[in-house]
Amino acid sequence: MQIAWWQILLLTVYSGFAIYDGNNTTFGTVKPTMAGFVAGLILGDVQTGLIVGGTLNLLVLGVGNFGGSSMPDYMTGALLGTAFAIMSGKGAQFGATLAVPIGLLMIQLDVLARFCNTFFQHRAEKLVSEKHLKQATYMNLFGIIPTSISRMLPVFLALVFGSQFVQSVVDNLPMWLMSGLKTAGGILPALGIAILLRYLPIKRNFAFLLVGFFLAAFLKVPVIGAAIIGLAMALIAFNRDTSKTEAVTESSTTEGEDMEDE
Amino acid sequence: MSKKDIKLSPEMRKVFWRWYFFGQAGWNYEKMQGLGYYYSMYPLIDQLYGNSDDAVKASLNELQFFNTNNSMAPLILGVDGAIQESQGVAANDAVASLKTGMMGPLAGIGDTLFAVIPNTIIGSIASYMALKGNAFALILWLAYGVLRLTIMRSFVAMGYREGVKLISSLGNRLKKITSAANVLGMTVIGALIPSVITAGFAYTFKNGDVKITLQSLADQIMPGLAPALVVLFTYWLLGRKKMNSTRVTLILILVGILAYNLKIFA
Repeated sequence: MQIAWWQILLLTVYSGFAIYDGNNTTFGTVKPTMAGFVAGLILGDVQTGLIVGGTLNLLVLGVGNFGGSSMPDYMTGALLGTAFAIMSGKGAQFGATLAVPIGLLMIQLDVLARFCNTFFQHRAEKLVSEKHLKQATYMNLFGIIPTSISRMLPVFLALVFGSQFVQSVVDNLPMWLMSGLKTAGGILPALGIAILLRYLPIKRNFAFLLVGFFLAAFLKVPVIGAAIIGLAMALIAFNRDTSKTEAVTESSTTEGEDMEDE
Repeated sequence: MSKKDIKLSPEMRKVFWRWYFFGQAGWNYEKMQGLGYYYSMYPLIDQLYGNSDDAVKASLNELQFFNTNNSMAPLILGVDGAIQESQGVAANDAVASLKTGMMGPLAGIGDTLFAVIPNTIIGSIASYMALKGNAFALILWLAYGVLRLTIMRSFVAMGYREGVKLISSLGNRLKKITSAANVLGMTVIGALIPSVITAGFAYTFKNGDVKITLQSLADQIMPGLAPALVVLFTYWLLGRKKMNSTRVTLILILVGILAYNLKIFA
């Protein structure tokens, strides 16, 4: 079947909204089953959409993008897989097979979008230090633009130019750059942590940094376990601090009494 | 003070909704949810400090590195709001440390409760039914969305209550709370370094049939060596003259691309 312009438009808008929803409000539009269903609805073949979506959804059941890691984007995969399955008439299995490399490819674009948002973070910090507090808050909203475009643009182009075009893009990506950016994305959180370390009193508390690192790196304790040890040490520090000040006040009063005796 | 007496201020209610709708909108590699956190706290900052120097200080504080499970974050926003409402910018250091101390553990709990469990349960039901051509299970995603919103709403109130209690029970011992919170925060950052940063050596020595990967050697010296080195390098960079976070970002991107292509980092 030939895809109509309004169908391209709806699918494009859906992809942009779904990624916003997945990151924020979480009403399931980013799930492959939902994306496949909606794509099927728009293109008039719900069955095919459900099968493509269901197949893809099973691939990412326990997977989530924790700590900011990017995961295969089978929302976009299901959307395009369903569309190509219906357009070509080759059936749901063809769509699902095509969707997998698309979903994997989308990881790279997700990384790119999160990179772009670093620019907005810097801009916000600059605006705040110039006392433009309200303008700085808009930078957070601007973050929606790269994230949504990273889905909308590929969906739009793929639907306009067809599955041949998608295949040739997959084959011709500069992988040295894409994989390099992924590695860079992996080490960039070091900057946030390093800034935090410059921000907090590290000299006095360096020992605790070592304890936390040791727990996680050597003993493979999850962060929550390290936090329990941290809390224990914090409580010890707090109680010792309190008893010390009490002792100081006590001794000073005794001294005062001694002086009066003389 | 009984539980019911402590009500969210109108600003805190705004803070919650801003997080709910746009908490992760500006997610970026450098400060992760830092931008969204600041965006959410803005109404409170504006109300408490207006456009003073204190407002700038508080804002920069909230723009720092922050990352947790986004369904759990309202707990932290609540505590933060309660502390700032009673102590102002004097509590900046305490707020920074408490945020850091709480975000790590809450991320662990939240990712399991709000991502892994619903993804697996609803996902498998929905996929199974979808493969049979039935769309009915999709409604579970919507129901979960509503449930999650309700829980998040109670989290912000819970965090706020605990924050108020913390301040009223500890009174003016803010300095001690701050240094105790610093201990907690620092421990959590230490644990975050090997958990959040992904860097592993890719280099492989080959000598005849013997193959040794650099990573296995590094693991024998110290697990998490690569993340620790990257943090050390970045920390050092930040202390250099003429360095700002933009330049450091660009350097790190370059390092990442080079390290991948020279097969140093995987």
